Amino acid sequence: MRGFGATLGLYEPGRGFLYRTPLAVKAVASLACAVAVIAWRSPATTAVALLLAVGGLLVGARLSPARVLRMLLPAAPVLGILALYQGVAQDWLRAFVVVGGITACLLAARALTLTTRTQDLLDGVVRLVRPFRRLGADPERFALALSIMLRSIPYLAGLFVDVRQAARARGLERNPRVVVTPLVLGAVAYAHRTGEALAARGLGEGEPDEALPDEPTGP
Amino acid sequence: MEPAQTTVTGTAGTGRRSTRRRWDATDLSLVAVFAALIAALAILPGIPVGPLGVPITLQTLGVLLAGLVLGPARGTAAVLLYLVAGLIGLPVFSGFSGGFGVLAGPTAGYLLAFPLAALVAGLLTVGVLRRTRRFRVVLLFLAALTASLLTIHPLGIAGLMLNAGLPLRDAILVDVVYLPGDVVKDVLAAVLAVSVHRAFPRLLAAKPPLRA
Repeated sequence: MRGFGATLGLYEPGRGFLYRTPLAVKAVASLACAVAVIAWRSPATTAVALLLAVGGLLVGARLSPARVLRMLLPAAPVLGILALYQGVAQDWLRAFVVVGGITACLLAARALTLTTRTQDLLDGVVRLVRPFRRLGADPERFALALSIMLRSIPYLAGLFVDVRQAARARGLERNPRVVVTPLVLGAVAYAHRTGEALAARGLGEGEPDEALPDEPTGP
Repeated sequence: MEPAQTTVTGTAGTGRRSTRRRWDATDLSLVAVFAALIAALAILPGIPVGPLGVPITLQTLGVLLAGLVLGPARGTAAVLLYLVAGLIGLPVFSGFSGGFGVLAGPTAGYLLAFPLAALVAGLLTVGVLRRTRRFRVVLLFLAALTASLLTIHPLGIAGLMLNAGLPLRDAILVDVVYLPGDVVKDVLAAVLAVSVHRAFPRLLAAKPPLRA
């Protein structure tokens, strides 16, 4: 998990006070942004949220304004159309409130992922589960599931590319069934292999007293 | 979120169905790999369609597949795991890159509906697989369609109204654009699920009561 987390994460090393802010504070702030923008939909809320998010990125992560704008690029088409719609169908102040609010929350969330190492994020969410142990939650198995998931994404993405190329070679790339069937079957087979590997190492099984007869899993 | 699901299954094991049991390592890795499958399908191709450009991806295909292939408990857990990974900021959502920000975005309703969709699809699938061996593709297609009509579309519309500030009529119009694509994805999910259950018959079928 440690090795791979870095490749999937959005963390970029840098300086600024956001890098030293505890994860819990950043998470609460980023969540509070979403709650505030949805609960109190007003120009003032949007303006404050936008100021804090942009200010946080500029000062707290020492980004250039151009970098901040570029962060919004993936969401730009949706935001643009939404702003246009709100402006024309309703009024431009409302367009600012709605789209500005969404923008602020996207930036706030991005500020968190930019300044927190992926490993710390994962540790943080597992820590969050720990209080639920009394209710039967199992932080260790949750962490294990999370790390298997992250490890599997590149494998499945690679499989998808391979399968699509194979389909293209047969002139079948437009048939989604031909493209996706091997991917899904491959995923299930991969999960079984991983499950066997885990069981062989005594990982991922339930509490020992609840364990089933000692037959290994799988066929 | 996800371990709570584990508990549900764990306690369900004492219930009516004697075949239910606490998840073993294979169940755990099926949940994790399906969460990864949804992520892979969501990330890879993304074609923005419709007036709001909500990207049509195979994301919902992955969600429905989780229910159709893994059943209600593991399927829902897989989707929840996927959501948790996206909400803490890993780039596994299509379009937006993840993090709590999506909760304020126009697609939030769709994302939050996904676990419910897997749950409904999974429950219906278990019913279908237990009862009949015939017309499975058609029945699983209906299961997937029901799940997405009951959960993804209503909650998606609610999200558009709440987060994007659309009036009901406009939100429905935006949502309806995705309906034809969804039906195609439901068919695909049913065909795929039948293939998977044929290749891995023990995945959801009632397991023999004595495993030893």
